[in-house]
Amino acid sequence: MEMEQTVTYLVLIPLMPLVGALVIGLLHMFTCTTRPLSERLYGILGVTGPVIATILAVKTFFELKGMPEEGRYFSQKVFTWFNVGELDVAMGFLADPLSVLMLLFVTFIGTLIHFYSIGYMAGDENFGKFFAYLNLFLGSMLILVLADGPVVMFVGWEGVGLCSYLLISFYSKERDNVLAGNKAFIVNRIGDLGFILGMSLLFWAIGSGGFDYLSLRENASALAPGMGLAICLLLFVGATGKSAQIPLYVWLPDAMAGPTPVSALIHAATMVTAGVYMVARFSFLYVQAPLAGAVVAWVGILTALLAAIFGMFQKDIKKVLAYSTVSQLGYMFAGVGVAAYSAGIFHVFTHAFFKALLFLGAGSVICALHHQQDIWKMGGLKAKMPTTYWTMLIGCLALAGCPLLSGFFSKDEILYMALANGYPGVWLVGVLVAAMTAYYTFRMFFLVFHGSARDEEAYAHAKESPKVMTVPLVILAIGAVFAGYLNLPAIFGGHQQVTHWLAGSLVEHHPHASLGLELLAIAASIAAFAIGAFIAYRKFGQGAEEPEFQGFAKFAYNLFYVDQFYHAVIVRPYKAFGAAIQRTLEPYVTDGHVKLSSLLYQLIGQAFKVFQVGYVRIYAIYMVIGLSLMSLFLSQTLN
Amino acid sequence: MFEHILSVMIFLPLLVGVALLILPVSKNGVRILGLAVAVVVLVCGLKVYADYSGGGGLEFVEKLNWIEGLGISYHVGVDGISLFVLMAAAVLFPMVFMLFTAKSKAYYCNLLIALGAMVGAIAAADLVVFYIFWEIMLLPIFFIIGLYGGENRIAATIKITIYTIAGSLCMLAALVYVAVAHHTQTGVWSFEIARMASLELQGGFAVAAFVGMMLAFGIKIPLFPLHTWLPEAYTEAPYSTTFILSAIMAKIGVYGVIRLVVPVFEVEMARYAIILAYCGVIGLMYCGIAAIAQKDFKRMLAFSSASHMGIIALGIFCMNVQALTGTLFQIVAHATSTGILFLFLGILEERTETRHIDDLGGVAYKAPVFATFFAIAMLASCGLPGTSGFIGEFLIILGAVKFNMVIAVLAGTSVVIGVCYMLWLFQRVFFEEANSKTANFKDLSAYETLVFLPVIILILVMGIYPQPFIAKIEPAAQKHILQMATQDNPQLAERLDESGLLKLTND
Repeated sequence: MEMEQTVTYLVLIPLMPLVGALVIGLLHMFTCTTRPLSERLYGILGVTGPVIATILAVKTFFELKGMPEEGRYFSQKVFTWFNVGELDVAMGFLADPLSVLMLLFVTFIGTLIHFYSIGYMAGDENFGKFFAYLNLFLGSMLILVLADGPVVMFVGWEGVGLCSYLLISFYSKERDNVLAGNKAFIVNRIGDLGFILGMSLLFWAIGSGGFDYLSLRENASALAPGMGLAICLLLFVGATGKSAQIPLYVWLPDAMAGPTPVSALIHAATMVTAGVYMVARFSFLYVQAPLAGAVVAWVGILTALLAAIFGMFQKDIKKVLAYSTVSQLGYMFAGVGVAAYSAGIFHVFTHAFFKALLFLGAGSVICALHHQQDIWKMGGLKAKMPTTYWTMLIGCLALAGCPLLSGFFSKDEILYMALANGYPGVWLVGVLVAAMTAYYTFRMFFLVFHGSARDEEAYAHAKESPKVMTVPLVILAIGAVFAGYLNLPAIFGGHQQVTHWLAGSLVEHHPHASLGLELLAIAASIAAFAIGAFIAYRKFGQGAEEPEFQGFAKFAYNLFYVDQFYHAVIVRPYKAFGAAIQRTLEPYVTDGHVKLSSLLYQLIGQAFKVFQVGYVRIYAIYMVIGLSLMSLFLSQTLN
Repeated sequence: MFEHILSVMIFLPLLVGVALLILPVSKNGVRILGLAVAVVVLVCGLKVYADYSGGGGLEFVEKLNWIEGLGISYHVGVDGISLFVLMAAAVLFPMVFMLFTAKSKAYYCNLLIALGAMVGAIAAADLVVFYIFWEIMLLPIFFIIGLYGGENRIAATIKITIYTIAGSLCMLAALVYVAVAHHTQTGVWSFEIARMASLELQGGFAVAAFVGMMLAFGIKIPLFPLHTWLPEAYTEAPYSTTFILSAIMAKIGVYGVIRLVVPVFEVEMARYAIILAYCGVIGLMYCGIAAIAQKDFKRMLAFSSASHMGIIALGIFCMNVQALTGTLFQIVAHATSTGILFLFLGILEERTETRHIDDLGGVAYKAPVFATFFAIAMLASCGLPGTSGFIGEFLIILGAVKFNMVIAVLAGTSVVIGVCYMLWLFQRVFFEEANSKTANFKDLSAYETLVFLPVIILILVMGIYPQPFIAKIEPAAQKHILQMATQDNPQLAERLDESGLLKLTND
């Protein structure tokens, strides 16, 4: 590739937060039991790496923007990671339109949340450890985004998984939190199995000419159709783990056990969208395997439906948001599944703003109410927390798909593309889910901020959060309003700048614009928003009493008992098998050959005992017999 | 000294070990002398590593005629296949003298004898030399477990003795068969390992000899279902011995298969590789699932170690350069992760006086350095990228995908099975609330931190920048695979051509 341009600072982007993690981690490790250092020091160290990374990210963006549209990328190979036979993997990084779009919002939101955490985590005995983990996370996420090939991406992929585990079980004195962390790690690893196998197949199929995205993309046409399908589906298994899709979504709601900034950064804005990013990254494979795309789209939209159903009945504010995240991720997969990769990625982008905003807003509320998370114990907070209220309102409107806010444009684009690319079923379910989204979002909003206080004492102590927390809310709210305008379609007078920007990275076919379809999609989306929000207002707008869940509501509140099902069908048999090995198989079956040989040995001994009569004359006869046989044998062989 | 560097590494510990056994030296004196010898071996090992050219052939060769009539000679050397096994032994051995105090001086003497014999077996280039060192290597283990082991040491010793003697007899018979076959086919007597590769062994006797040899090494690795001695032996042995068994001796079993079985019995290997591969993956799953049911953390790690050995062995049977390189890499990676975990558990038991997982909790809050080191070794054993564990495991799974998809999927389950028990162990020991047993848990001392630090750094360096290590072993692995492929094995040759070998043949 003679056009390739090399820069030397690309590696610094993930390296900066990683160095921060190392420094903070070492300081904390060696001082926490003896002389804990000040929060101020950890705070300053904690934000340094992310801030530098953000500056470099912006620099990267502008440099890329200055390049001609054809061949708009640059890369950096730091060193040969490992080279075995034809497998040649470099520790390399790639800045192209897709990775830089991800890079921009990951560094931006990551840095904001680092600042917010200084306020949120104040007073925690493991303040330093928290920032070490958060920096480690950001570094890993940036490796994932900037990787120039699947193996390096896997480094980031596993790194963010590790940090997710560490941060979910951050309050590790309580068993439930650690169990949630374990669950996240193990479920993610099930997905990773698919990733590793898919990646290995990909190597043997077309990887010998270079195992980075650019070479793979060049060689992708050599892929046999069946092989392409298998690779796409295996990679998608990895995506369902990381991005919480059916059947591996069960870890994400439990992951809310972690501190709220973690939920905002990792379990809403960045890490969980890695699966969508991966599918878009491999768009050159997925366009060749339409069946795999259909699977992705349907799994995505059904996950969106299932999670929306769960979200309508949750009591915990973070669980509502968690299921909403699962549901929105479903939309993104529907987008990339119907081969509208830029639409899917655009929803990743807008979702990062409004969902991070909603989580941080929820964190602000939770902080104010002394770690109360039950929305049925809140109410009337509008008066007490004006900044939180107004920013949350913007976040809710964006999530619910209110026209002219960011969520509306990105979601509508996905639904329209589903319709245009021949997936009317996906579209129909998507519209239904949009109405449900508006309903559960405003159910939460009204219960928290409107009506009267349900817990007088907590309400009395509630007050607005400090600046270090509210300023990020305001910034994110601005993003939640305006992010959508970056990709305004022609029908609203825009030029789809994001889609054009991404064109260099994605293999995407744009359908002929059909005004009728477009209008139909927009009308349906607006109607869904209006209906959902209206029902929520009627039921909860003036205050409401906590209902007793019965019938379907109870079934949905208990998440269709999926966790219990997994437990009964997978976890318990697995443990039981382990116990059975320990108790039965190991001592009596696999050790059988040892027992059998010692038994045989004893039996033979018993048999030979017959000859041991104890009389010398008998032994002399044995000797004579033996000697004659030997001489007979010798004389035979010598002749 | 450097002309006979391998002989120094073999005989210095052997002779010092025997001499100290006889001489009236105090326990501490023996410990310090033992450490000094281990450090000399380490320095020699590093010298070998630095000077090794990476060409793929045997280097540092020493050859002395011994029994000329039978073509037996004292013949040692190192190549890319043995280099990493040798390094695992040389690098890790000093730690066993540094960390735990033993009950008697004979313990240290036994360790020294084991060290010399292990280096001998690794460096041997002659079948007889190999066999002798192999046998000497096993003796100290019997004594150590029998004399200094835990409560059930006698049962454990009997079991390991039965197993090992059975294996050794099979190996001896197989070695004699191979040497006789060499005499029949070429007319000369020789026991040189490199010469055996050119033999054409077929028929019932060849299969029997192959099975015999595989039994001997399969027991040592251990390969399912020959692992049943392991939980007892690993649990009853003192920690430093368990560490040696898991980190080094098990690897010599793997090494034996690569060095002796694969080149000599290439036809049988190609035919039965699939069965052996199933033994590997079944063992990996079986032992990994068994680990979750253990209440005793040492026994849990014993099963974990056996589970990992399943996938390491699998790398040999896939017969491509990626998987074989993965196995050779994993030999060191596994030694520095699971091996080190045994030492950590030793420290844990020393300080809490329990091996019961349920008795512990909250150690991370009391001992952050210990917890961090433990976590890094644990994550390496789970194969997390950025640690040494990932590179080897990934290469083996990648190679397995080429070999057989079913095997690959089963091998891939290791990424899930490993974290199940490890996270549970970590949770119960390091997280949750501290209790009376852990309330006063002391963190690693500065001395202990310094002892472990090089290994922790090695784990990370081998994960982040493995290419210098790979470059030392990959040519030998290429050569090894190529040798098999070109010998009367068109089916295998065809399979290899399309995999990783085009580059080499083009040169």
